[in-house]
Amino acid sequence: MSSELEREIGHDEFDPVGTLGLITIYFLILVVLWIFMYFVEFAGGDLTVVGVVV
Amino acid sequence: MSTESGTFLDQFPAEAKVVRTAFYSSFVALFVGALMGILQVLHRTDVLRIVDSADYYSLLTLHAVLLVLSFSVFFLVGIFTWAVTTSLDRGLQDLRYTWAWYGLMALGTLLAGIAVLGAFIPGLDMSAAVLYTFYAPLQAHPFYYLGLALFIVGTWLAGLDWFRSWWAWKKDNPDERIPLPTFMALTTTLFWILSSAGVAVSVLAFLLPWSLGIIDQVNALLTRTLFWYFGHAVVYFWLMPAYLLWYTMLPKISGGKLFSDPLARVVFVLFLILSTPTGIHHQYLDPGIAEGFKFIAMVNTMFLLLPSLLTAFTVVASMEHGARQRGGSGLFGWLRALPWRDPVFTGMALAGLMFAAAGFSGMINAGMNINYLVHNTWWVVGHFHLTVGTAVALTFMAATYWFLPQLTGKAIWSKSLGLVQVLVWFVGMTFMSNSMHRQGLIGVPRRTAEPQYSGFDYEVAVGSMAELNMQVIIGGTLLFISTLLFLTVVVMTVIGDKVDGLPDNGYADTLSGPEDAPLVLDNLKLWAGIAALLVILAYSLPLAAIITRGGILGPGGSPSPQFVDTLLFVGRVAADTVGGVIA
Amino acid sequence: MNIHTYEKFWLGASMVLIVGFILTITYGSVGLGIAMVDDSEPTINPENVGDHPDFGDPGVEQVGENEYVVHVVAVQFAYFPGEIEVPADSTVTFKLTSEDVIHSFSVVGTNANTMIIPGEIASVTVEADEPGEYGIVCSEYCGSGHHDMEGKLTVVPQDEFELEGDE
Repeated sequence: MSSELEREIGHDEFDPVGTLGLITIYFLILVVLWIFMYFVEFAGGDLTVVGVVV
Repeated sequence: MSTESGTFLDQFPAEAKVVRTAFYSSFVALFVGALMGILQVLHRTDVLRIVDSADYYSLLTLHAVLLVLSFSVFFLVGIFTWAVTTSLDRGLQDLRYTWAWYGLMALGTLLAGIAVLGAFIPGLDMSAAVLYTFYAPLQAHPFYYLGLALFIVGTWLAGLDWFRSWWAWKKDNPDERIPLPTFMALTTTLFWILSSAGVAVSVLAFLLPWSLGIIDQVNALLTRTLFWYFGHAVVYFWLMPAYLLWYTMLPKISGGKLFSDPLARVVFVLFLILSTPTGIHHQYLDPGIAEGFKFIAMVNTMFLLLPSLLTAFTVVASMEHGARQRGGSGLFGWLRALPWRDPVFTGMALAGLMFAAAGFSGMINAGMNINYLVHNTWWVVGHFHLTVGTAVALTFMAATYWFLPQLTGKAIWSKSLGLVQVLVWFVGMTFMSNSMHRQGLIGVPRRTAEPQYSGFDYEVAVGSMAELNMQVIIGGTLLFISTLLFLTVVVMTVIGDKVDGLPDNGYADTLSGPEDAPLVLDNLKLWAGIAALLVILAYSLPLAAIITRGGILGPGGSPSPQFVDTLLFVGRVAADTVGGVIA
Repeated sequence: MNIHTYEKFWLGASMVLIVGFILTITYGSVGLGIAMVDDSEPTINPENVGDHPDFGDPGVEQVGENEYVVHVVAVQFAYFPGEIEVPADSTVTFKLTSEDVIHSFSVVGTNANTMIIPGEIASVTVEADEPGEYGIVCSEYCGSGHHDMEGKLTVVPQDEFELEGDE
């Protein structure tokens, strides 16, 4: 495997900036989908179970 | 014992045989399970129904038990045996003991399988169409319960085997940190024993005696709650070997190092303490359990997202490290520098990507009141085909392309076919799981032979039912083809000749090593104690309430044997009951 | 223990997600008034359901001006009653129990969905606003005829509604 490596990157010189970018996108997708699922798909649906009033 | 370099087979030939046998057992289960899977896809979508709908549930039982218990756990014991042996660099303490637990697991699978398949043998009054969850009062043949119990005891003994290796190693290396792969195997074993004790009590104290006629009723809510005490932790049990591979193999295959050993330890400790006190989130819609207990289970479940979210970062960062060492650059340009032609890498990376998607549907499933929307719909099935069915299964298949040479001394027959195989799985699962999620949202139930009803039609907001079913058919077919391709590569590799020049056994180095991890992380007694305490806090009151309400054996009721031969009998009972209610 | 700054950031973002999810659910309970099926009902012997004062004669019952209770008995593989009719603009409480195994009562395409466990009574209250027809399915596997177990819920306009036996 090492033959394919072009360079050695040590602990202190590595900032996972790409990972930060990807994970930020993931975070935003999660937030948007959560809001859609909870407030549109679920809370917007019919026959939601409410507290017993009888 | 050996410290020489070479393949795992060169270093530990006897242990390699154990791991190999466990893998082959898991592949047999995979084949039969996948066959049941394609039959179900065709049956549900009404393309081809080769069995009666009444018998569909036997196929479903076999599909679930063989894939989530036999396939995944046999592979797991193989991985963990390899991980402990390799990272401690010492053989197992006593191979006769090792073969004994393997034998128990195999016998257990066989007994449970016979009980299920008995349904298809005319004249044999044996069946176990109770599905993987075996909720009482549905009753299976005693062989089914006995088989499950033996299988689980086998896994406990396996866990003890890894502990024995570690104890022996610790005597020789008193001041060293537990190597990461061993740490992962041990923490997983601890929560597995803690959680599977619940299902063991349910089976041994209630269901097995009941199926033998020793007691004549059980508490349906109690046995169900004991099942879920185990039923959520078990999903982490399947997942942990995949995590182990993502942490210890994927960075190396990407050409880099594990970003952080300490965080990996934190993640496994979190799984140890949080996996079990969450099971009640499978019972959000159960009567007889107070809302407060459901809320507590939800809070625990939500915090259990943390170790997975941390894993996403650490694993992707490790891949990025590899990609940049391979010459990758740019904010996202490094992604191109990853070894996409290697099925081991691509399979695991795609499995991880699907796990990210599964993370989202899992977050929905974890939510308490939103569960009204998705509970027991096909959404849930879509979710766990992304988790155990891809994050776990695809990682295992991809890892096999690395492990098989290590275990046999033979080169993979065709890496290109392996690459095609993992891609086909990914595409197939995308179709199938997408459709399952969407069908679930319009109310299509899971676990049914015929989701077509006479009294109503589903309202599909976007697209049509035909389009959604077509996605399931295409997806399911691709998944079955992928399984066959995988097994072809495995068989052709195994019957091939031994070769020289295979890569050495080993796992990834770390950028930030164990020296950065606080010593307390390695205090397994402490974490096991906290885990047990949390379980007591989360479960003692709900269990006490259920027993107080309904009694230890429940308020009454009779068993409902799921014997296909007695179908007519069950039908008559139903008719009588109906008559009774109307009169 | 050294944790990279980015990873600390992600740890913080993860906690925001987790707490945000818990707060959303809490808002649903407290703000929107969504209740979970719970342990408020007594237990019942599945063998004596037929003798029960309410479940012995299941069906729709008016309990207030616009309030109705529907007792439903689930058996392998049917609901009694199988067809339920309630008026629009009413509050309906379903009380469900089983004579044999675990079933569910899932009104297709809606949020009315609960397990029915023998020995327990599930109670769920919904607001039936608009007239409409809904399918009811058992979404918990209950035996070889599970796929045949279905029912129907019809919400009819108030002026068309009549209680059975009142005709």
